[in-house]
Amino acid sequence: MNTTKQTGVCPVTGKGTMLEQRSLIDPEISAHPKAYYDAMRADDPIHYDEKLHMYLVSRFEDIQTIQRDPVTFSVEHGYKAQYSAGYFEEFKEILEREGGGYFPDAIMSDPPYHTRIRGLMDKAFTAHRVRELEPCITEIVVDLLDKLPAGEPVDIVKHFSVPVTIRVICEQLGVEQYNADKLSRWSQAVTAQIGRMQNREQMVENAKEICELQHFLIGHIKDRQKHPKEDMISDLVHARIEGSDEPTLTFKEVVSLVRALMIAGNDTTATAMTNLFYVLGTQPKVAELLKASADDDKLMSRFVEELLRLEPPVRGLSRMTTKEVEVGGRLLPKGAHLLLMYASANDQEDVFTCPRDFDMDRPNLGRHVAFGGGPHRCIGLSLARMEIRIAAREVAKRLENIRLKIPLADIPYLKSVATHTIEHLPISFTKR
Amino acid sequence: MMREVTVTFVEEDGTARVLAAETGQSLMQAGKDGGVAGILADCSGSCACATCHVYVDEAWFGKTGAPDAIEDEMLDMVADVRKPTSRLSCQIKLSQTLDGLKVTVAPTG
Repeated sequence: MNTTKQTGVCPVTGKGTMLEQRSLIDPEISAHPKAYYDAMRADDPIHYDEKLHMYLVSRFEDIQTIQRDPVTFSVEHGYKAQYSAGYFEEFKEILEREGGGYFPDAIMSDPPYHTRIRGLMDKAFTAHRVRELEPCITEIVVDLLDKLPAGEPVDIVKHFSVPVTIRVICEQLGVEQYNADKLSRWSQAVTAQIGRMQNREQMVENAKEICELQHFLIGHIKDRQKHPKEDMISDLVHARIEGSDEPTLTFKEVVSLVRALMIAGNDTTATAMTNLFYVLGTQPKVAELLKASADDDKLMSRFVEELLRLEPPVRGLSRMTTKEVEVGGRLLPKGAHLLLMYASANDQEDVFTCPRDFDMDRPNLGRHVAFGGGPHRCIGLSLARMEIRIAAREVAKRLENIRLKIPLADIPYLKSVATHTIEHLPISFTKR
Repeated sequence: MMREVTVTFVEEDGTARVLAAETGQSLMQAGKDGGVAGILADCSGSCACATCHVYVDEAWFGKTGAPDAIEDEMLDMVADVRKPTSRLSCQIKLSQTLDGLKVTVAPTG
C-alpha cells in the first residue's frame, strides 16, 4: 500500500508520484486517504484527478472561499454532474418507469431558489427545537446499547449506529412501520449516486432500491395530504411562506425533500457513531477523556465536535464553476467540476495544530468543515450533534474496555468519494 | 406592533453600518438584510454555527442579556475569538429597548 508520507517528488512536474499515479477512486486511496490529502495540500492544493475528471480542493482557505460564494460555485451544477455519473439517463428512465417519477433534489440547488427551499425547512432543525428531542433520542440509544451482548464480538454498525439513526429519523418523520434492513439498503442506494464508485450493474440495483423507497415515501406523503399529523412529513406537505408567489412546495419538491431528510442524515450520522467506537477502541486516552466529560454538556459538545473534525463522515461534496475564476492561485475554467475535500481541510496543520491528535481543547474547534459551510451548511447539524452526543454520553456511562475485533488494515470502507464510511466494525466491550 | 429601531454594526475593518431594522426581527436578520460584512449566518438563525458572532458594546450588554446554555455551547466553539460580551446575533431579538444598539462583528476566519 503506497500511503507513506514521504512521496517522491517528480523533478519535471514538481508533484508527488502519489498524486501523479493514483486517484481518489483507487479503492486503497479511498479507504486510507490521509497521505493523499497531505500530498495534495503540500504539492498541488487544487489537484486535477484524471480518473474522476474533477478538481480536488484540499486546503481549508480555498474550501472556505468556495462555499461562501454559492453563485460562482454552483451546488446545483456540481451535484447534477456528480449524480449517477456515467449512467444518469438510464437511471432517470428507471425511476420514471418504476419509481413514481424522477424527483431532482430541491435542496441541492442555487440561490435564490435554494433560499426559498431552505427557508421552508430551517425551522424544523433549530438547536433549541432539537434539544427537546433529547429524552426521546436517549431512550432509543439506551434501548439499543442495553441489547448489545457484552464479551463477544458485535458489529457496531449493524447493531447500534444504523438502527439508532434510522429509529430517530423515522420517529421525526412520523414513519411508524418500517423495515430497518430495507431502509439501510435504500440509504446506501441513494448515497451511492454521488459516490462515483458504482458500476452499471450496481446502478441498476440501486435505482430499483430507490424506486421502492420512493413508493414508500409517496404513500406517506399522500396520507399526510389528507390526514395531517404532528410530524415532519406533514410539516413539509403543509409548509407555507406567507406573502410569497409560491407559498407552498410542489409534490415533486416534497418527495425530494422527504427523501433527503430520510437519507441524508442516516448514513452520515451512523458513520459518526461508528467512528466514536473506532476512536474509543483505538485510543484509550480518548475513552478516559469521554468518561471525564460525560456529565458536562459543554465538554460533551466539544468532544462531539472534535470527533467530527478528526473523522468527518462526509469528506467530499461537489461544486461547479459558473464562470472562469481564480482560487488559491489556480485559474479554473467555467464548468470546472470541483470536489471539496472536507477531511483534508480538517487535517490542515496551520489551522488545527497537531491535526491527528484528539484535542477537545482546541480554541477554534468550530472552524472544522465536517458540516460544510456557507448557505449549504448541513441543515441537520443540530440533530446530528445531538444524536452523537447522546450516544457518546450513554456509551461512557454503560460500556467499558471497548476493543476492535478486527485488524485496522482489514476494516472495510464503503466505496465512495463522498463519504468515508466504515461498513462493519466488530468490537467487544464489558458492561459497567 | 412592529416599530422601527436603529442598530449599528461595526465591521471587522472598522466601517460602521447604521441600519434601520424592525422590532421582532433578529439582529442577525437586520445585519444580513443590510449586507453587513461578516454576518454570514450559515444556519439561518438556528443557533448552530457561530457565523453571526458579534461583540455587544459594553453599554448595551445589560440590555441584550447573556447567552443561554445552548448559545454558550456554540460560542465555546469559537473560543479563540470569544470576548466577555460575545453573542450570536441570531439569538438577539430586536425590541424597543434595543433601539440604538451597537455591536462589532467578530472575525469570521
